Amino acid sequence: MNKVWKDKKAICIFLAPALLLFTVIVVFPIFMSAYYSFFDWNGMTDATFVGFKNYMELFTSKSAGFPKTLGNAFLLAALSVFIQLPVSLFLAIVLAKGVKGEKFFVALFFTPVLISTVVIGQLWMKIYNPEYGVVNTILRNLGLDNLTRVWLGEKSTALIAVFIPILWQYVGYHMLLLYAGIKSISKELTESAKIDGANGWQAARYITIPLLKPVIQVCAIFAVTGSLKAFDMIYVLTNGGPAHASEVPSTLMVSMIFGRNRYGFGSSIAIFIIFICFFFAILIKKAFSIGGKQYE
Amino acid sequence: MNKHKNISIGRKINYVILIIWALIQMFPIYWMFTFSLKDNSEIFGENMFGLPRQWLWENYAAALKVGNIAKYFLNSVIVTGFTIAITVIFSLMATYALTRMIWRGRALVNNYIMLGLTIPIHAAILPVFLILSKLKMTNSYQALIIPYAAFALAMSILIASSFIEGIPKELEEAACIDGCNVYQIFYKIIMPMMKPCLSTLAIFVFLQAWNELMFAVTFISNSDYRTLPVGIQTLCGSYTTDWGPIGAALVIATFPTLLVYCFMSRKIQESMAAGAVKG
Amino acid sequence: MNSFRKVTALLLLVTLSLGLAACGSKTATDEAGTQKAADTKTEDAQTASDPEETTEEVTLTLWSIATESDAFHPAYVKAIEEFEANHPGVTINFETFENESYKTKIKSAVAANELPDVFFTWGGGFSQSFVESGKVLPLDDYYPEYEDGITKTVLANATYDGVIYGSAICTPVSCLFYNKAMFDEKGLKAPETYEDFVNVCQAFIDDGITPIGISVKDTWVLAMTHDALTLKSAGPEKTAAAITRTEGISYNDPDFLESAKKVKELADMGAFIEGATGLSNDEACQLFYNGTVPMYITGSWMAGSIQTDAENPADFDVAPIPVINKDNAAITDFMGGASDTLMASASSEHPDLAAAAVFELTRAISHYSYLDGAGIPAWTVDYDAGEVNDMTQKIADYTTSATSFTLWFDTLMTSEDAGEYLALLQQLYIGDLTPEGFVEAMAAQLEN
Repeated sequence: MNKVWKDKKAICIFLAPALLLFTVIVVFPIFMSAYYSFFDWNGMTDATFVGFKNYMELFTSKSAGFPKTLGNAFLLAALSVFIQLPVSLFLAIVLAKGVKGEKFFVALFFTPVLISTVVIGQLWMKIYNPEYGVVNTILRNLGLDNLTRVWLGEKSTALIAVFIPILWQYVGYHMLLLYAGIKSISKELTESAKIDGANGWQAARYITIPLLKPVIQVCAIFAVTGSLKAFDMIYVLTNGGPAHASEVPSTLMVSMIFGRNRYGFGSSIAIFIIFICFFFAILIKKAFSIGGKQYE
Repeated sequence: MNKHKNISIGRKINYVILIIWALIQMFPIYWMFTFSLKDNSEIFGENMFGLPRQWLWENYAAALKVGNIAKYFLNSVIVTGFTIAITVIFSLMATYALTRMIWRGRALVNNYIMLGLTIPIHAAILPVFLILSKLKMTNSYQALIIPYAAFALAMSILIASSFIEGIPKELEEAACIDGCNVYQIFYKIIMPMMKPCLSTLAIFVFLQAWNELMFAVTFISNSDYRTLPVGIQTLCGSYTTDWGPIGAALVIATFPTLLVYCFMSRKIQESMAAGAVKG
Repeated sequence: MNSFRKVTALLLLVTLSLGLAACGSKTATDEAGTQKAADTKTEDAQTASDPEETTEEVTLTLWSIATESDAFHPAYVKAIEEFEANHPGVTINFETFENESYKTKIKSAVAANELPDVFFTWGGGFSQSFVESGKVLPLDDYYPEYEDGITKTVLANATYDGVIYGSAICTPVSCLFYNKAMFDEKGLKAPETYEDFVNVCQAFIDDGITPIGISVKDTWVLAMTHDALTLKSAGPEKTAAAITRTEGISYNDPDFLESAKKVKELADMGAFIEGATGLSNDEACQLFYNGTVPMYITGSWMAGSIQTDAENPADFDVAPIPVINKDNAAITDFMGGASDTLMASASSEHPDLAAAAVFELTRAISHYSYLDGAGIPAWTVDYDAGEVNDMTQKIADYTTSATSFTLWFDTLMTSEDAGEYLALLQQLYIGDLTPEGFVEAMAAQLEN
């Protein structure tokens, strides 16, 4: 068998198309961005080499406020790993156990991901609308007028108000991955555990979740890298405002590159995002591979 | 007896949670549909969430006529279809080499692929555009298919890897003893075993390609190749926007995806249900 | 299916490897290479004979933001028909894009040298780097033919270093739109001075009505108000000089401080709609159209929108922005001007035709969009415009008797300064910055 799996020619044939496409269209642009990040360049006229000045500015410029955006992105990543993923896992396990209308629920729970962020964004703008929005209307009807807010417009609430829709929208995304993962685990294992006297949750805890580790790992990587790159919903809801309160690295990067024509500086933000995402992706992989070897 | 009761109460609680969550998830569809039948004064005024006072079906006519939505829809289908096909094939092949086959540098290439998850799409617009422009590939379907496939590869390979690990190696070993070569093993053992994964991959690649906007705006100038998200955007005026027809166009864009998804998810279930006992 | 897969895979592989090879050899000489290619192309094209004399089929590509649902779209279509009729054998391939994503698209197109023959852009700071990159066609040689229709003053925003690079479609200006019915109810009149304006606001506030609709989330709407107040405090010359980084003029100046203070004062007295920081322009406008708030300061395009979006368009009227400092500014000084512009690409294969298209299209679009009530004309009106809606006509009259036009800050400034300006303005509104802090930060940005 090993001889078959060591066939060099086959390895090349299997890998070549993906690697080639990937290198030309994805990795090459990363190198171009890295190159641009050492220049003061507006994207159109001549560039001036400035060395590490852009990177220094990331951490020294008060008006750009990059460290704060990084903090916001980390918060989103933490929320998605510790709130979004457990919720998704719970739903996936409940559904995969087999409830009435299982298919219907799976399909329905996934729909927010299918609907474009523009629509979801518009919907949440209405939910948060200070005059007619759902949130404030409910608060007023409960007699809690003093709790009503301009949710997207106040510095203290804007960030969390933007994060809630993001976390909510992608619950279905992770749920589907986990659900498919559970479904591909052989039924006999959970059944035999049940015969041995384990209840449903014990079976989930001791059989399903450990076997699901490869999928959970993938979800964790997607959740973290996705959070660190989050852009669309924030752009629609607040565009980083008010006064940078809900700014994340991606919104700052886009406003630098395309708003202010600071292509070089924007590229340095991009490189930083790439670096951080890569770092966390590897970290998660490492964390899961410790003690996880027996499942391979 | 007591234990059985506990379980059924637990089931009921689960069920209530599922139904509440289902209602929440249904709300966007309801809202999008009513939104598509309103005018600006209702959409932005006091009747944001209620049923339309007047059902403005003409919004749909406006979207179809002005927006040229039908053509853009077809373009989106072409672009997304090819993207899915290319991504799924390429990533399954690569995944097999990256998870099953034995060679030096495998871990390194696995990590290299992860780079694909890290790049913020807006930072890539100009570099990718420059590459496409050098290849004389702007203004064509492949101007979108190739970048979409490339950017979906990392995700697909990662998902596929997590699934392939669940396939017992014994099957392949048996095939090997029967004299199959590596290509036959891939085609006859791995591909069929990966069927549930295939539809999952298709859905996730679909998600990335179908709603993508910025690449589509930048790389395509000729409206013959314009995709749906860009087409819908052109319903926005430069100073003022009539949101009703946009809602209608969004419904037109979304409902087929819901149908395709339902079809796909049945496929997933079917292929996974093989041998499974209904709980 | 199987063989189909194989073929697709193979084809892609071949394309990609070819691509990779092509890329590898070119990237080293990347920028220099494209630049040179563009230059030689232009020379070739200019030495070619006048295409109007030949009968060969020519296609010009035109990009704009006049999408099919935009108020300007019909005017573009008529203008293109007219141009094609006047130049037999010429076809214009008209492509439209949404405003915000177009800004990204056009910048990328300049960078990748993929500009179309003729393209829509904004005058002032926005296009400055396009011109500096050498990818825009200079139009000085072509202008004299059209100078009767459009003055050099109007084209000032498309003139860089004394060279004309574009021609204008319309001259939108900032105005004070108000609900006349609500004003009449209280016996109020459109304010002409800032004191009047504050009194009007106070009168509404006393009655429990918030007087001014505004969006701070879409910061350009807040900027419309602040720009206009600044102009009416500091006057046109000083304002323009300060924001275009003119030597010796600092933004840290009492006149600029004054307008920042006024914005703060209005915000503190509760003149702006509650929750403006969370409202988009569309949402805020709706509150004006449905009679929740009686005033809205924005560009003249609102005159057209009122006709379609308000229930009773006749309730509404328009007035110039009130004056803060009589010594510096007059009621006839206007914020705005000819910024919506067409330009031609320097690498167009038919530069003469592209240049002709820039002028003749803008002339016709200016004409037809005015008749449609969509825009305030940039070109001389030598036709009957009696049918146009009253508000648009009124604004057109303002512009003909205007003593000055100053382009909006965020258009006139370079993109980088504009981005910082909008961010600072939001901080001023929220109270993160004092008016003093705001002018200091502005001065620092403009002097770095």
